[in-house]
Amino acid sequence: MAENSETQNPTEPLPKMDEEFDPKTMRKTKPGIKRLIMILTVLSSFILGFPFLLKTIEIYRSPLPFHDIDSLSKTLQSNPLLIPCRFQVIYLGFDAAKKLDEQKLGFMINEQMVKLTGGNPICGGCGNDYTVSVTVDSSNVCNRSLNVENSCFWRCGSIDLSGNLNGNDEEIDEMLYSVLRGNENCESSGGKVYSVVVLNKEDDDVDGFRVVVGKYRHAWLVGKLEGIGAVSSIANVFVKFFMNGGKEEGISKNEFMPVGADGRVVLSFSLLNANPQDWVYDWDFRKIDEDLLAPVVEALAPIANLTVESQVLYHTPKSSFSSWDAKLSSYVFRTKDLPFFVNSNEWHLDTSIAAGGRSKVLQFVVYIPSSEECPLRLQLPSGKLSTTNGFISPMWGGVIVWNPPRCFRSSKNMQPQKYTLTSEDLEELLEVSLGQLRQLFGLKSNNLYVGESGMSNVLSSDRGFTEWELDALSRQHTCFNLHSCATTLGSLSRLVQSLPRMIIKDEIGKQVKFSLEAANLAQTNTSRGSYKASAVSSRQARALAEDAFFHPSIMSISYYSFEHCFAVYTPFFLPVALHVLLAAAKEWRRYKQERTKYFMWISKKKVE
Amino acid sequence: MTFLQSILFSILLLQLYFVNSNGNDEEFTEELLLKPLPDRKVFAHFHFDTKTPPSKTYGHHHRLFPKAIYQLVQKFRIREMELSFTQGRWNYERWGAFDPMSSSNAKPPGVELWAVFDVSSDQVDANWKNLTQTLSGLFCASINFLESSTAYSAPAWGFRTFSGKLRYGALPREAVCTENLTPWLKLLPCRDKAGLASILDRPSIYKGFYHSQRLRLRSNEFSLDVSAEEPGIVLEQTLTVVLQPQSQDTRSIYSDGRLLHPSWSISSIFGRAVTGRCVLANLSTIFVELESGLVSGLSNLSVDLEAGRLGAYDLGSEGSWSNQGFELSVKPDRVIKEVNSSQGKSFSILYEYSVDKFDDNEPFDLGFIWKLPVAWSCLHSPFHASRFLMGSGNQRGSIAISLRSTGSSGEGFINGGGIVGDVCKVRVDIFQVVPWYVKVYFHTLQVYVDGKPELLKDILEKMHVSPSEDRVSPGVMEMILKFPCSVKSASIVIDFDKGFLHIDEYPPDANQGFDIPSAVISFPDFEPSMNFLDENSSTKSPMLLKLQEKNPVISYTEILLVPLATPDFSMPYNVITITCTVFALYFGSLLNALRRRVGEEERFLKSKAVNQTRLLPRLLAKLRGKQQEPTQSSPSSSSSPLGPKLIIKIILVAGVAIGWHYYTE
Repeated sequence: MAENSETQNPTEPLPKMDEEFDPKTMRKTKPGIKRLIMILTVLSSFILGFPFLLKTIEIYRSPLPFHDIDSLSKTLQSNPLLIPCRFQVIYLGFDAAKKLDEQKLGFMINEQMVKLTGGNPICGGCGNDYTVSVTVDSSNVCNRSLNVENSCFWRCGSIDLSGNLNGNDEEIDEMLYSVLRGNENCESSGGKVYSVVVLNKEDDDVDGFRVVVGKYRHAWLVGKLEGIGAVSSIANVFVKFFMNGGKEEGISKNEFMPVGADGRVVLSFSLLNANPQDWVYDWDFRKIDEDLLAPVVEALAPIANLTVESQVLYHTPKSSFSSWDAKLSSYVFRTKDLPFFVNSNEWHLDTSIAAGGRSKVLQFVVYIPSSEECPLRLQLPSGKLSTTNGFISPMWGGVIVWNPPRCFRSSKNMQPQKYTLTSEDLEELLEVSLGQLRQLFGLKSNNLYVGESGMSNVLSSDRGFTEWELDALSRQHTCFNLHSCATTLGSLSRLVQSLPRMIIKDEIGKQVKFSLEAANLAQTNTSRGSYKASAVSSRQARALAEDAFFHPSIMSISYYSFEHCFAVYTPFFLPVALHVLLAAAKEWRRYKQERTKYFMWISKKKVE
Repeated sequence: MTFLQSILFSILLLQLYFVNSNGNDEEFTEELLLKPLPDRKVFAHFHFDTKTPPSKTYGHHHRLFPKAIYQLVQKFRIREMELSFTQGRWNYERWGAFDPMSSSNAKPPGVELWAVFDVSSDQVDANWKNLTQTLSGLFCASINFLESSTAYSAPAWGFRTFSGKLRYGALPREAVCTENLTPWLKLLPCRDKAGLASILDRPSIYKGFYHSQRLRLRSNEFSLDVSAEEPGIVLEQTLTVVLQPQSQDTRSIYSDGRLLHPSWSISSIFGRAVTGRCVLANLSTIFVELESGLVSGLSNLSVDLEAGRLGAYDLGSEGSWSNQGFELSVKPDRVIKEVNSSQGKSFSILYEYSVDKFDDNEPFDLGFIWKLPVAWSCLHSPFHASRFLMGSGNQRGSIAISLRSTGSSGEGFINGGGIVGDVCKVRVDIFQVVPWYVKVYFHTLQVYVDGKPELLKDILEKMHVSPSEDRVSPGVMEMILKFPCSVKSASIVIDFDKGFLHIDEYPPDANQGFDIPSAVISFPDFEPSMNFLDENSSTKSPMLLKLQEKNPVISYTEILLVPLATPDFSMPYNVITITCTVFALYFGSLLNALRRRVGEEERFLKSKAVNQTRLLPRLLAKLRGKQQEPTQSSPSSSSSPLGPKLIIKIILVAGVAIGWHYYTE
């Protein structure tokens, strides 16, 4: 080819200005930049227009406060929610001669309590944020360890020791309540006040002392007491009962509360006649509802909105097997059979239509066995028979097996006998059910507490829950709600961030905002020690967070995928972009080439 | 001792009974009605009735009444509600249209729901929407599609007379299966574990020709009028099936060519026999009905139907009960005769069986054995109604409702038809809902009587129309028509345009077409009911009471299937693609034109022209190999102005031109 071009050169009609000028490598004029500028303008307008395009095809996403959500979950994780509690110890009936040093006692009790709580505070407990005040009230002396306003604490001399303290526990409880009632108004100023009254009874015959925890916010120790000997018992009462609500292992953070996301619980009572061909039992639930359950519903009102409903079902055999035990002369089912006892095929217990939404349904089932398995009893692993003949399933409810008084059925009788449960039977059943409800809420179901430091008696309230238990529950509930709210919001923010093309409506943004506000309010209320307000606002925070997370628009398929967008815009932008880019590259290359030609010419001219 | 016990027990029972009869306790009754049909099929109708006293006096805890339904009534403040799931279409001509059973139990295919609420009229829609969602969950059906305002309507007076608080919706395409039956059975205290419901063997009832499960609620919980006769909530659950009994009888054809009806028994049609009653039922009864046509047919054959009642005729040792016409394998407890029937002299007969005395060891398996071939026809409604589409194409069409007089009920006209002056007139009410995409033009309404067009104002007595609104509400048409009694046939024709839907409004199977729910045609002049001489009987059977109720004759027309223009669903993307391609081409060429350097190109072309003269021979050389090498050495040939290449080009162009010309000619 080179040969060819050489041979061609002489014949070419090239303008020969001078010998040195080679038109292939040089040019005399400056290369024009008109086209380059034009193409670069187009390219840059494309690049600049791209954000505008993205803006126009953007979908609406309400701005969510991701930062606030993160900070909420961080604060809840780093420092657990501490709710201030106040404790007071009142020493009564101690002679001035014994010289109890209230400052020292207070210090000792405090130390003992720190030891019991183990130093690391649990969520919903009182944490380390508590005060113990010790008052020694004898006939002439009134010493107080802490200087606080009088109205919330014990006023000296308000009890006449001589006459009042000889009644039974219930009477003492009521009497102490009438004296200590003044504490009710103190909630806003740093938490409820829990009291332990130490009664010295020198004249008692019995050695040692008795601990009784009352129905309200106080307990008392009675008996022959040394001033210091009672310290560990007092600390134990404070920590085990008033702080932790009488739970054995304290409150763990991840424990579930059987309360629906909207703060509602439905107690659904079902009477199951396993085989109505044998006998048909009925109950007067209206009476139970009005007489026995109404106080419980009222008592639990700050924690959850409870509703009660009932039904009677028939033809509902259990799905596990039971065997005849001749020694116990009854059919026996064992604890290992319990997972199979509930027959979800035949027991159509159903959720409640009335409740709706995200409320929690707790099923309480009274199972009446058929004549083929009557009497039916639950055998504990120890070999003994269960006294309640029932069991609970956490977060689901409880089952009680109730055996008819007469287990045989006259086979000739075509018509099955119809009975109604007597009110004594019903009360018994309901007592067990209430115990189960307490267990579902994580409380103890019997009122005798055996700990390391001896036995304590716990008085039970006819409302099912004592005041201090309710306090502990509402503290725990606040904590649980706030944690649940933080996790839900965290999940929501993760979800929203992971799907950048998901539509988020303003409503969700608003719900998240309000939820965060309620959570913050709950936190401030908590630090001020007002239990009820914090429980309410924490419940609200959780409900709003759940509402936002389960908002129908999030579930819907209206999310507009990036692939879709890509498919719509590619047919235009791909060919155009190809053109523009190629043209720009070509022009740029050409411009560079021409410029070198020009420079070469310049340099040549200079050399000349 | 046992004697004493039994006495005590009977006293207890009596007391129980009296408590129940006072209406202060919940009641549950189960009944089954069996009836041979003229076309060799068997009609079975289960009727379960649960009642509860009002919650004002009884509280809200129940032992029999289902909790779910009670809560439904309380939550949505329902005064009356009816939900039906139906598969198959009721054959009005063969299975009857004039008896109370068919006019209240024949339902349109799919789901039909109507409800009356006891709330202020602005809340009715909200309650309806929530109710559809709840029912959808309760019965595992897509009733929630009735939530959209395009799917339901508020009839003013055409369907039932409840001003403003009634909502009506139908889903014609809903498939009905066991998943709908199981929740329905769950509402019964014994479910299908005992009692009459235990014979509901799923394969046999779904194999039938017609299957309709219905739930009807009536409550006066919220009404201020306390004096109503039936306080509380009444839940009525019925299941109607039409089954074909298998005839094993080989000698079913008689000598004169008439066919013997197939004999059947409960176990042969259902696959199971009744093993006792539900212990919670106050009443557990099975009836066998011989309708009036059959009774008159049998009496023409001189069969004494009351013989069994007199106890004179052939009482078999096994308790079977027979006459010349047929044999019942179990002796009926009671024979109930209809009296004072509106259908002239003929009357129907009910054989009653109580299930109380049967159990697992001795199941109740009633057999019905035909001995003589009988032919009869059922009672027809004054008009046989059918509805069809006219016109073709995807643009417009018309809906026609045709009413054909059934000659058999000529005397019915005189009895039932309102005589205004001297002219006898028959009133026909029509209620029809059309979806919004079927745009009905009401001015095109035409009525033909006996094939001749009539003036609308002569026929139409009252009309209420609410036109459809696109994507908001369906079109509702309620009409009262009065035809002269002598009319043979009548038709009502109305034109419509087919609307266009958005691409996302089409259902998954768009080519199948769209269903228009059944129209309801009722004849309020005719209120068939049965009267039984039943005053002495202590038990009040809800089913017999139902049969004695006066209700207008109602028939549902066929569902219409309207094909709409189905778009090519990939069209939007195709449009996008082609538009974008055109734009991209335009843009590309514009860009190229802008950067063109004309002078330089000319120069380049010139130099290329010189080069190119050599290119072709070299290519040719490459093709021919070394053979043509000498030609390469003669460059002068290519430089000649009239080379062979040019000639070839010219010839090619000419050839194309000639070909083109020839082709276009």
